[in-house]
Amino acid sequence: MSNGALRVIDFGPVSPLQSQTLWHAIAHGVSAGSPPTLAFMQPDAPYVSIGFHRRLDEIDGTYCRAAGLPIYRRMVGGGPVYLDDGQIFFQIILPLAMAPPVRSQAVRTLLAPAVDAFQAVGIDASIEPAGDVVVGDKKICGHGAGQIENAVVVVGNLITRFDHTAAARIVAAPDEESRAEFEALMRRYVTPTPAAATAFAAAATMAYATRLGLQPVDGQLSALETEKLAEIDEDFVDDDWVRGSERAPTGVWQVKVKAGVFLITARAGGSSVRVSIGAGRILRVSLSDRGLNGATKGTEKSLIGMSVSEASATLTRFGFGGDRLAGLLQTIEQAVRA
Amino acid sequence: MTVEMVSGFAVATDLAYDLDGHMWILVLDSGHVRIGMDALGLETSGTLSQLSFRSGIEVVRGESFGSLEAEKFVGPLISPLSGRIVAINEAAMADPGLVERDPYGEGWLIEVEPSNLVTETAQLVGDRELIVDGFREKVRQYKLEGVIAE
Repeated sequence: MSNGALRVIDFGPVSPLQSQTLWHAIAHGVSAGSPPTLAFMQPDAPYVSIGFHRRLDEIDGTYCRAAGLPIYRRMVGGGPVYLDDGQIFFQIILPLAMAPPVRSQAVRTLLAPAVDAFQAVGIDASIEPAGDVVVGDKKICGHGAGQIENAVVVVGNLITRFDHTAAARIVAAPDEESRAEFEALMRRYVTPTPAAATAFAAAATMAYATRLGLQPVDGQLSALETEKLAEIDEDFVDDDWVRGSERAPTGVWQVKVKAGVFLITARAGGSSVRVSIGAGRILRVSLSDRGLNGATKGTEKSLIGMSVSEASATLTRFGFGGDRLAGLLQTIEQAVRA
Repeated sequence: MTVEMVSGFAVATDLAYDLDGHMWILVLDSGHVRIGMDALGLETSGTLSQLSFRSGIEVVRGESFGSLEAEKFVGPLISPLSGRIVAINEAAMADPGLVERDPYGEGWLIEVEPSNLVTETAQLVGDRELIVDGFREKVRQYKLEGVIAE
């Protein structure tokens, strides 16, 4: 039972491993009866984290090993991300019964106090309909959510400094042009919002307590959570856990920059398409097929602003080479999932 | 299969439902039971991006047989029946959009060999009138809560 308390734990700088395992341990504790909890922490070194369902080969493992970047799989959603000490993580962890029962509602409701906190420290943040926390059209906060036993967790971060190059480097891009495009899209759509971590934590504590109707109380891990942390510390470095469940490859390479903004590359039979998509429209496209006969640049330009299906229909009119590229675009259209 | 529109949502009225969990069951000729998600549950989950199922395990009614991800939320898929999972829908795992396009057909999730079918089916809603009334009430509730648009 919560007894009306919001337990607040500010762990400060922690190891990359414990910047993930601490809040998983707390979720098990909250599931077993610990009070609703708001936690803060900052990884003291860079690392890579991947969402629960995602394929490990989305990450360039060879590079990460060479660069000394550990990889940890989290039990919430989203893709592979680069994390470092320029990011202060926060997690709100509630018993299942306290969270909105509908998933789409839970994330938005539990990110709303974080938006209040950003605003309180002078950042003009809002939540887009698609769920990202933004300033204007730039994402300022990575987030993920999940149910762990009988607790709901929503995680996010205050990004005081963001290394776009490192973030682009850790993904297993099919070629360096795709990686460069990914970095360019991140520079366009992801931005840090420098703010004092202590001020943000204080504002977030007030905002979560107010919105949840709870009284903030400084706390620490329970005995059960400490015990669970030791277990999870071991589990999260287990190769099988990091590898994740078997999933078939999708046939395309896809990265999501923010909600609605994707970079996707598809290849087949000597043809390839790389397309950047924003709000359902083509921002940039790169085509390769011997059948285009020197019309490549003009064709690429003509497709900008179209939806993927419109571009596919347009390419079909180009004959054999266009058909091949149109087929790749159809594959891309099917692959785009929010 | 008979599909009716109830308060704007497709409902196959010849299946049996766990209305709170938004799961349906269909008893197959083999005696196995096919399980899927209903259209209202899909609407309130948000766009599905990932699905995974735990093949070959014994599942207990009310417990997880897999997980879904929508809007970056990873949550459990809760079984309406107990039994051993004998089939998983690989096509739905590869393309979660299939579940949204055809929730009562090709978008099924798993099949189980049930261990307590009679008792547990009695706890589901299988009567057409009750299914329709149940969905109508759920939609009304979700609209009141602002979960789905008016």
